[in-house]
Amino acid sequence: MTGLHYPDVVQLAVPGFILLILLEFGWIVWTHRGGRYETRDALTSLLMGAGNVASGIALGFVTWGFYVLLWRITPLDLGTSWGVVALCFVLDDLRYYWVHRFGHRSRWVWASHVNHHSSQHYNLTTALRQTWTGTFTFMMVLSAPLILLGFHPAMVLFVGGLNLLYQFWIHTEAIGKLPGWVEAVMNTPSHHRVHHGRNPRYLDKNYAGVFIVWDRMFGTFVTEQADDKPEYGLVHNLGTFNPLRVAFHEWIGIWNDATQPGLTLRQRFMYCVAPPGWSHDGSRRMSEGLRADHLRRHPELRGTPGFEEAGEMAPAGRGANAG
Amino acid sequence: MPLGLLVLLVAVGIAGIAVLLHLTGHSRAFEIDSEATARREWHRHCPEDEVRAVLVAANHRAALIEGAQGRGLLWSFGADTTAQQFDRVEVTDRPDGLILRLGSFTAPAVRLHLSPEERAQWRARLTGATP
Repeated sequence: MTGLHYPDVVQLAVPGFILLILLEFGWIVWTHRGGRYETRDALTSLLMGAGNVASGIALGFVTWGFYVLLWRITPLDLGTSWGVVALCFVLDDLRYYWVHRFGHRSRWVWASHVNHHSSQHYNLTTALRQTWTGTFTFMMVLSAPLILLGFHPAMVLFVGGLNLLYQFWIHTEAIGKLPGWVEAVMNTPSHHRVHHGRNPRYLDKNYAGVFIVWDRMFGTFVTEQADDKPEYGLVHNLGTFNPLRVAFHEWIGIWNDATQPGLTLRQRFMYCVAPPGWSHDGSRRMSEGLRADHLRRHPELRGTPGFEEAGEMAPAGRGANAG
Repeated sequence: MPLGLLVLLVAVGIAGIAVLLHLTGHSRAFEIDSEATARREWHRHCPEDEVRAVLVAANHRAALIEGAQGRGLLWSFGADTTAQQFDRVEVTDRPDGLILRLGSFTAPAVRLHLSPEERAQWRARLTGATP
């Protein structure tokens, strides 16, 4: 009933992904700078990428069915001109920003997204370390406004693919900072290194997909600091390269936390949807608490980029689960 | 792209990159070569903790940490390290060392390669047989 077809740009780009990974690796070996590679880490990332494509093939009908349902409901149809595609791309990037922000601020969505942050490396294979469980986050609802406004479902998927494609090349340490206007408007390797940093300063920052302007608008932007090199991975790093454990570990964690005895219904619910690191007894740390802990150890950093918020002081406790 | 071609491309690409990385020496494990390295790495994972005692394995692949927040294990994880604090640990003897089960889905079992003397020392520390 929808008729319109666009190419699956992510699948078409697979040869390019492989080629660019080889080029980045060759550059690092040749110049001895620009990042690090490790066999098992890279293998895990690549297998996660393959699993993401497989899960998309297996479960894509859920999202597509939802989109088609919305398309039947809406009386609006903006057509298929390239201007409409371009507008759809920009608005979809705004949609991505919020999906991504939810992905870090609600544990239900974080359970899907966490694997993308689970490598302690940052190279082009990290870009492919993608979720297998995105469908179960139900974040496709954030695309609903686009379709209800009259953007064709196939177009929405197409521009979403372009968005993912753009984000591939920014997962690298081989590129420093780009010219000022690029850094001002676009998401760049530098901005995205910040996003992958587990440094307290960088937690929950730079959610952008293509245009960094969303972070600037919504107050989540931090620029990469020369004296605070991003350290990649999770606040509580994994001890496994097993893709199955990487893909499902946070879902298991939610289950274990939400089903422990003696909790109220609200507490069980909060273990599912509250920000990562939330706990009913305050024994864990969310990103705000981690920043506060860091400021307590380094008060001289108060007011510097990423630490502008005042009064972030939380009681001391053991461990941290936020990522 | 036909599904068969996609599968072939992905399989060959993944295998090729993994073999290339391994053959060019990128499978080397991180070496916890001193107590100072262990302390630095532990602090990276658990910045709030205060390290009180460190026992580094002779093969430089693991360290047992006793900190203000309790016990923990630091171990080589590819080119990096990872760490876990624990209250309880299940210890299994093996001819070449110990297997530790820390009760974590993300680190189900950690195999330590230890000499017989080291194994006894680690077991004692882990099970609390000695202070």
